[in-house]
Amino acid sequence: MAEEPEAVLQLPSSAAAASGETLSELSPETVTPEPPSSAAVSPGTEEPPGDTKKKIDILLKAVGDTPIMKTKKWAVERTRTIQGLIDFIKKFLKLVASEQLFIYVNQSFAPSPDQEVGTLYECFGSDGKLVLHYCKSQAWG
Amino acid sequence: MEDEFFGEKCFQYYCAEFIKHSQQIGDGWEWKTAKDCSDGYMCKTEFQIKNGTTPSHLGTPASVHTGFPTEENLELPVDDSEVMESAAASKVIKYEYHVLYSCSYQVPVLYFRASFLDGKPLSLTDIWEGVHECYKTRLLQGPWDTITQQEHPILGQPFFVLHPCKTNEFMTAVLKHPQKINRNVNYITSWLSIMGPVVGLNLPLSYAKATSQDE
Repeated sequence: MAEEPEAVLQLPSSAAAASGETLSELSPETVTPEPPSSAAVSPGTEEPPGDTKKKIDILLKAVGDTPIMKTKKWAVERTRTIQGLIDFIKKFLKLVASEQLFIYVNQSFAPSPDQEVGTLYECFGSDGKLVLHYCKSQAWG
Repeated sequence: MEDEFFGEKCFQYYCAEFIKHSQQIGDGWEWKTAKDCSDGYMCKTEFQIKNGTTPSHLGTPASVHTGFPTEENLELPVDDSEVMESAAASKVIKYEYHVLYSCSYQVPVLYFRASFLDGKPLSLTDIWEGVHECYKTRLLQGPWDTITQQEHPILGQPFFVLHPCKTNEFMTAVLKHPQKINRNVNYITSWLSIMGPVVGLNLPLSYAKATSQDE
């Protein structure tokens, strides 16, 4: 991780390299980490320092025959959209772009792709986290 | 048990539940019955403003158009100027969404049509341009498997249809777990939350809450 200038991203290096995403893996050592000062100035970092507190915890659960993610718990910015999350999971699971992935709240309701996870957290979060189910499915021919 | 397939009675029941919540929040869904038979459908009319705030839609019309046949363009030779116009100023588009039951697929089907305020209908090309980026890559691989124009079975007028051939498959996957733990899920709410956003129909989050409170 030391060689990654965006160490704040806390992603498994393969996925981080592939995606450049800004989800933070939650492990006992990395809960609400203070971003290293370099992160604030490194290009490509979407996140201003101190924004960590604005993150929410989400728990990602696979549905059906969709591959599970080794890391299920993530800290994400409130402003991240469902679409952003879908893109992230697809990259993490190395799904091809053409595969369709859906995210559900309450196990059965798919919020629109533009919906922000912060809003979902306020509506459906419990015990300090938001549980989201994801499912790879062919909704069309 | 009976949840193996989705019968017409089920369809009407879940639509009625759906409309009940719609009336509470006032977002305009209603049930229409056909004149000469007991069939009916659930529908909603919505006005959406399309403006130039999505550069990806406006900047690459050529690349967007290449993925699918353009027979609509032949019918509507003014199409290009129309696109330019809508790029310049925001346009109000009237969307009509109809939810019908398909006896052959035994699933609900989303019919819709859209028109500008002067009554000019949106072409299939216009419709594709409005499809959310999130789905475009996947859907443009098989555009004719996704959105086609068909006759509305009850009204007999041309509507666009989101193809139902995979609906049963993905709904079975979605509903499996809630059913296992005896959780009451409104099939119509769940299905429409998945299908709707493709063509600009976003359900308020309160529908998800309504479903879970009805347990």
